[in-house]
Amino acid sequence: MSAVGAEGLAGGYRAGTDALWDVSFSAGPGEVVAVLAPNGGGKSTLLRALLGELPYRRGTVELAGAAAYVPQTERARLDFPLGALDVALMGAYARTPWYRRLARADRAAAAAALERVGLAERAGERFGALSGGQRQRVLIARALVQDAPVLLLDEPLSGVDAASAESIEALFGELRAEGRTLLVATHDVCQARAWDQVLCLNGGQVAYGPPAQALSSEVLQRTYGAELVLLGEGGAAVSVSHHGHAH
Amino acid sequence: MLGDPIARRALAEVLILAVACGPLGVWVLLHRQSYAAESLSHGMLPGLVIAALAGLPLILGAGAGVLVAAAVIALAGRDERVGSDAGVAVAVSFLFGLGAVLALAPQAPPRLSELLFGDLLGVSAGDLAVAAGLAGAVVVALVAAHRPLSIAAFDRPAAASLGASPARWEPVLLVVLGITTVAAAPGLGNLLLVALVLAPAAAALAVTRRLGRALALAAGFAALAGVGGIALSYYGGVAAGGSVALCAVLPALGGLALRRG
Amino acid sequence: MRAAALSAVLDAFSAPYMQRALVEVALLAVLAGTLGTWIVLRRLAFFTHSIGTAAFPGLVVAGPWGIAPQLGALGAALGFAAARERLARSGRSDPDVATGLLLVAALALGAVLASDVYPSGAGVDRLLFGTLIGLTPGDLALTAAATAAVLVVDAAGRRSWLATGFDAGSAPALGVRSAAADRFLLLAVAAAVVVALDAVGALLVVVVLVVPAATVRLLANDLRALRLGTAGLALAEGVAAIWLADGLDLGPGPVLGVLGGAVFALVALLRGARG
Repeated sequence: MSAVGAEGLAGGYRAGTDALWDVSFSAGPGEVVAVLAPNGGGKSTLLRALLGELPYRRGTVELAGAAAYVPQTERARLDFPLGALDVALMGAYARTPWYRRLARADRAAAAAALERVGLAERAGERFGALSGGQRQRVLIARALVQDAPVLLLDEPLSGVDAASAESIEALFGELRAEGRTLLVATHDVCQARAWDQVLCLNGGQVAYGPPAQALSSEVLQRTYGAELVLLGEGGAAVSVSHHGHAH
Repeated sequence: MLGDPIARRALAEVLILAVACGPLGVWVLLHRQSYAAESLSHGMLPGLVIAALAGLPLILGAGAGVLVAAAVIALAGRDERVGSDAGVAVAVSFLFGLGAVLALAPQAPPRLSELLFGDLLGVSAGDLAVAAGLAGAVVVALVAAHRPLSIAAFDRPAAASLGASPARWEPVLLVVLGITTVAAAPGLGNLLLVALVLAPAAAALAVTRRLGRALALAAGFAALAGVGGIALSYYGGVAAGGSVALCAVLPALGGLALRRG
Repeated sequence: MRAAALSAVLDAFSAPYMQRALVEVALLAVLAGTLGTWIVLRRLAFFTHSIGTAAFPGLVVAGPWGIAPQLGALGAALGFAAARERLARSGRSDPDVATGLLLVAALALGAVLASDVYPSGAGVDRLLFGTLIGLTPGDLALTAAATAAVLVVDAAGRRSWLATGFDAGSAPALGVRSAAADRFLLLAVAAAVVVALDAVGALLVVVVLVVPAATVRLLANDLRALRLGTAGLALAEGVAAIWLADGLDLGPGPVLGVLGGAVFALVALLRGARG
């Protein structure tokens, strides 16, 4: 049974060509899928298509229920007068119609989510005053409040301090155990090896499958092209223009 | 109309202003400074009012007004949390309000409408000479700065390395804008002068993307707007400044609407 | 001595027109508190100013045509919005330019029409800068109705406005309908502008709707504090402005502009001196 998937998905039409084509994959509950793609390789288009925000041209998208989205923190207005708790609370917006106030249970859920990502004592602090890693964790807390079966995360570990990264990875394990499905866009190839499935994109789909099969050097070459530096046969492959966190 | 000395001088004034405002407007649009142009002209009001009250030449008041407005606007727009748009709104409403308070104080002569909407029909030979001098300075400055301004407008990232650093030339443009504002304020009024700066240029840029042609066309459209406006005012008996502004703006809007982007 | 001064101030407010002005100011303060913070946070100051300016020709013709000024203003504002939409759709030109041109067109049109309607120029001042004595109970009723409507729209839309302003990209994933909610925000601002025109004039609507909110933004970083603080400051400034305007025999708009700007500068200076 698929929690999230696509069949022959193509879309994001731009200047005479699709941004994304030939995407077919299927992930079940409790699976973490790494999405590897170079810049401009269709990653954002895929996420938007999965969120239902792209009138995609061809193919289908399958989503069991709603998806929660964890964007990169740079896109948020850091000067906004919002505390960490306020941001986490936004996760309840999806289930609260506009004419209804947010429930006390929602507030409790937001506080609990912050606690789960290790930021309980920072609940009242302004979002913009937090560090990059802390902000990322708040956005994850927001997704937790949404309580969706599928989570789409856009480079949640890039530029994040080691402590936050550890906490986030531990959380992935917990969410997996809860039967949720995670789609994690990342540039960290050695990260991707630790997860269940890998989807490699470069406009078109290059490969999809368990990392042992999908992360061959040939696939990586086709995915990243000139951006790739391979460190020895079967060794960690690092993409030159992006930073993963250090192990 | 040409037989009437008042109309003749008004015509001369708008034609002089057209030569400066038209090309300057093209640069203002290419450098995306139209908000600055409007804010500056609205904020200069206290200078005009004080000059009028003190019996000084309006040109002096315009100059001082523009300088003060530029400083206040620059300061107010600095706070990032408030945002530059709200900051400029605070500054302009303060200055504009101050001008109105000074002008509407009961003992003052009620000339506020002329300061706001211009007094083209009250132009004297001396005013023409001053306007000609200022417009001439503007044209000379624009000719001298032509290359750096065009590089900074069209190739901003590379501009600094090409010797046309926007950090230096954008302020130059703003200074030239200030001078043009000063020149145009007595005739067109501080609310309407942007019409002659922005509208002919917008029309010109809607017609052509070639810089040289746009500059010339803008001056031409501005001149046409001036002549049309004076004629409308003379034969129709309506406000001169407003007529010139309308004759400038309506074709520009039409041009923008008809253009298929 | 102080009792005499106090009673002089209270006397000034005893005239019926002053009491109507007070009610209007109180209602406008509620509008300022409700919408002002959104205008600042969502960068709508220029939009607010443009609606006011766009309404100017509508105000000019309202008298001679025998219609309520708010109606004329609304008609002109809607015409402006429609023209703006048309221009935005048609070209790749800078939207600021189209708006700027439309505003100048509105001013020029108003000036040309006014030279027909108000040859003396005195009536135009009132349209540009507002009036105290001209506020009728009908105006107050309209302002009250607009305030009530805005409060309702705010209650319904503010979560969306917050999420969209914070990160427009992730708002849809939160179930937020950004486009629809934002349209209501713009409509609410337009309604507020239309009812504020009478008191402060076509060119200075920002003195009520933007300046107090901007001032409080310098100080506060919490949404609730921003909204309540803005309402309080708008009320205080408004009351002071109408008292001064009455004493100086001026329209309240410019007085509030000077007062609001001075307070903003003072707050900015004090904050700079501390921080």
